[in-house]
Amino acid sequence: MSDTTLIILLSTITTGLMLGLIFSLVAVGVTIIYGSIWMPNAANGQFFLLAALFAWSTSVSWGLQPALAALLVIGSSVPLSYALEILLVRRFYDVPNRNISYFVLTLGITQILSGIFSITYGVWSDQFQLPPLVPGVTMLGPFPIANNRLAAMLIAAVLLAILFALLRFHRYGRALRAVFQNRDAAALRGVNVRGIYRMSFVLGNAVIFAGGVLFACAYSFDLTIAWTMAITAFAIMIIGGPGSVLGALVIGIVFGLTQAVASIFASPTIAAFAYLGAMLIILLFRPSGLFAR
Amino acid sequence: MTGLMRRWLAHAIFALAAFATPLLLSGNRYFAFIAGITFFSVLWATGMNLLYGYTGLMPLMFGGIAGISAYVTIGLSANGWSFWLAMLVGSVAASLVGIVLGLPALRLRGFYFTLCSLVIQTVITLAFVYFVNLTNGDVGISHIPLPELPGGRQLAGTAYELVLATIAVIGVVVLTVIVESSFGRRLTAIREDDGLAETLGINVTRQKLAAFFVASLFASVGGALYAPYVGFISPRSFDVLLSLNIWVMVAFGGRGTIWGPVIGAVILAPVPFVLQDYYTIKDVVYGLLIIGVVVLLPGGIVGGVKRKGRADAPAAVAKQAAPVR
Amino acid sequence: MQKGYKILATGCALALALSTTALAHEPVKVGFVTELTGPWSFFGTSCIAGLKLAERHLNPAGERKIEFEVVDDQTKSDHALAAARNLDVQSKVIALSGPTSSDTALAINGYAEQNRVPFIVPVAAFPQLTKPGTHYTFRIEPDAAGWGYAIAQFVAKRKPSAKIALVYSDFALMRAIAAGLKYSAPKVGLKIEPEIVFPQGTSDATVQAAQVRAAHPDYVVVIGAGGFDNTLTNELLDIGIKPDQIIHPYGITTQVLNWGQRSVGSYYGTFFDANLDKLTAEGKQFVDQFRTQNGRPPSYIENYCYTTAYIIREAIDKNPSAADDREKFRDAISALKTKEPTSGIPIVFDKNGARKEYMYFMQIKDVQKTDYKSKQVFYIDWNPEAIPVYDLVK
Repeated sequence: MSDTTLIILLSTITTGLMLGLIFSLVAVGVTIIYGSIWMPNAANGQFFLLAALFAWSTSVSWGLQPALAALLVIGSSVPLSYALEILLVRRFYDVPNRNISYFVLTLGITQILSGIFSITYGVWSDQFQLPPLVPGVTMLGPFPIANNRLAAMLIAAVLLAILFALLRFHRYGRALRAVFQNRDAAALRGVNVRGIYRMSFVLGNAVIFAGGVLFACAYSFDLTIAWTMAITAFAIMIIGGPGSVLGALVIGIVFGLTQAVASIFASPTIAAFAYLGAMLIILLFRPSGLFAR
Repeated sequence: MTGLMRRWLAHAIFALAAFATPLLLSGNRYFAFIAGITFFSVLWATGMNLLYGYTGLMPLMFGGIAGISAYVTIGLSANGWSFWLAMLVGSVAASLVGIVLGLPALRLRGFYFTLCSLVIQTVITLAFVYFVNLTNGDVGISHIPLPELPGGRQLAGTAYELVLATIAVIGVVVLTVIVESSFGRRLTAIREDDGLAETLGINVTRQKLAAFFVASLFASVGGALYAPYVGFISPRSFDVLLSLNIWVMVAFGGRGTIWGPVIGAVILAPVPFVLQDYYTIKDVVYGLLIIGVVVLLPGGIVGGVKRKGRADAPAAVAKQAAPVR
Repeated sequence: MQKGYKILATGCALALALSTTALAHEPVKVGFVTELTGPWSFFGTSCIAGLKLAERHLNPAGERKIEFEVVDDQTKSDHALAAARNLDVQSKVIALSGPTSSDTALAINGYAEQNRVPFIVPVAAFPQLTKPGTHYTFRIEPDAAGWGYAIAQFVAKRKPSAKIALVYSDFALMRAIAAGLKYSAPKVGLKIEPEIVFPQGTSDATVQAAQVRAAHPDYVVVIGAGGFDNTLTNELLDIGIKPDQIIHPYGITTQVLNWGQRSVGSYYGTFFDANLDKLTAEGKQFVDQFRTQNGRPPSYIENYCYTTAYIIREAIDKNPSAADDREKFRDAISALKTKEPTSGIPIVFDKNGARKEYMYFMQIKDVQKTDYKSKQVFYIDWNPEAIPVYDLVK
């Protein structure tokens, strides 16, 4: 294999993994919330962007160490989630068709956040670029890759592994899965359903925030990423099966790799059409997704 | 009998107000323009009401259908067609597309349908940007000429607003007629429970698709007239925000009532113009409004008034009254 | 009876005289619709910073006052249009100006032409703004297809029969630049390969960077939008493209600072820069004052919005009746033969409102936190219709 082919091959794989891991993180966050509360969080893209912007502010304007800034931002999602839960989310816990109410509600939040970002951060929208987590470049054979990106990839993978273990083996994870499957049965078995709801809202948002921070570490971004991310995360959740963490994980990585491959052979626009088309087909013919339990 | 008379009285008052407004505002083109935009909103909100209020489906691709009609109409008239013929073809074509886009509604309900329609809207917007040769891409089409009238004159100014008023009035009358008809009652039955409707012998598929055709016609006639009235269209003119704004008008006014969405449109459509000087908070205000409607006013203004008026709230309103403890 | 008429006549004359003097004291209002929020607000706010500087010297005592009514369009065409309509009908402005994005400018352009409002575009480069038959629109920035022409001339001079890789985002402006370059390159013996388009909303370009490197181009012309421009540039550098192979068609101050130290050696096109070889005395003053006030040097955005204010002042000074009549104002602008106060570049509009065009190419020498050094390496000017701009880009 010539160096040229090798470079293109390696760049495709690393890009696919990088994007895929971030997609997976966000989609897992969205699917945890949907699986438990039944809340399709259309504002996930804005939360993702909020995290990225906050990471930019703390590391560039306040001059914090990027790693420290990242932790601070992910931590900040907890009070935010609590406030939203108390103000809005818990009002609908017992409403029968609450997923559509939640959907509209989060579209409203999307509108508010995008309005606020446009006023506050819009002025710097060509400057969102974080100092690297780890400087320097590593050579994978003939292919140079920024250490910063390798670090972001590694962290995303570790986070996903931790999440997976948590949901599989920890007491909370088992309770969460019980609520996913049947909330009444779970309540009868003594699970505090509302407590689980709150926990999953907080956990889900923290994961979305982590995705936003890692994205900001790996790429320059601007305010338009919010909508792209929101649609992508929804597409992954629907195809993987709403509420299925494994589905979100697998489909997220598949999406990342497809995007990388498609951008070589077809235009990246075609890749965008392909996602949406796949999502439509799954919605129509297998609404419970590919990884339905 | 008196009820019927009272209903048509309301229509007469609405028609009178609709025709008087452009005449009264003809001295100030800016206010007249706001009135014109409000007529579009009344038409669109009324059309979405048929789907969201009476059939129980929340479509977020409504703006996209209006956009298809606008692009087809402008494209045809740029190729030498008369605007009115182009508008007829554009509207019918877009409404047929509307039926196709409504097909998912046969399988999906509630949130899943809404999400599906959001995806469709996104695809339509992407397509408007992508097919540069047909749509001029994200640049949009400017310099759109005004429609020609017989005799070589152009439809402009107050005359244009009177046409829009007529269309809005016709829209409301058509919806009223539909709701009163057996077609309307079948749609309401489907909204309440489409499984039950099926067992009652209603052909749910055909009714739903018919509803999509009619509602899309509202969207597309509006879209075709909107383009020359504003003089400029771009993919953003018909994006998901338009669909959401129309939805807010319907929900805010009160879905499933004839006048609720009209009131919603008349109150909300001028808001962006009034807020022009407070541009910075416009999106935030709209977002708060959406949340406010969902949380506080699930039946809309009219629904809220009705609920207060009658001790035993009708089933439909009670069902929407969200936060039950 | 006769007397009565006389009194009436005198009264009328007096009233008329009073009203004209009142009119003469009333400031001339110019509507300035620009991007203060939304994705292009870094352009709009820079523009306003330049305009503010001009406003300080714009109204010497004794002259008719010029006032700018600034309105935000949120970088949305329909908002821009609504704002233009409001300024035209409600505020009765003499002219419209302000957009720094081609989309918003085109929306206002349609309105201005249809409603006969003079429209001076400071910073929007889409060619169709001055398509043949345009009467009320005047554009200060050279058109984007022309930039592509200029890039081709620049590359041909540095390395005849060079191979250029062209990567750009799918926005109207970028498509226009690419179209100009693709048309002009073969005419001067250059080859373009590969050509890669990114759709709006793309965030990664590693694979495409690898494709570019695999093609071994002599130069890479990088036309990204917003944050993606940084990603694209960094990924090209990461994969081993040398800075002095990279050409950006335009560089405003914040962009050059974003590219950073690692981009030292790369080239960018511009129409004004603090590091130009020749600045007028006023230009030097402009740069110094701007730097003191905003903590960074100005670029062409600020310069064009500064210049816009001067053009309007000059048109009204040369023809005072233009201050109250849109047709006369339009004619005054059209007849103007002047120079940019900061750089001395001539300003003359052709029959379509396009300007005799020019472009500088700079090479980055050093980048600090809030300042940078660059060196002028190429200058070119041309007639707007040196290439068929209006056919190249629809």
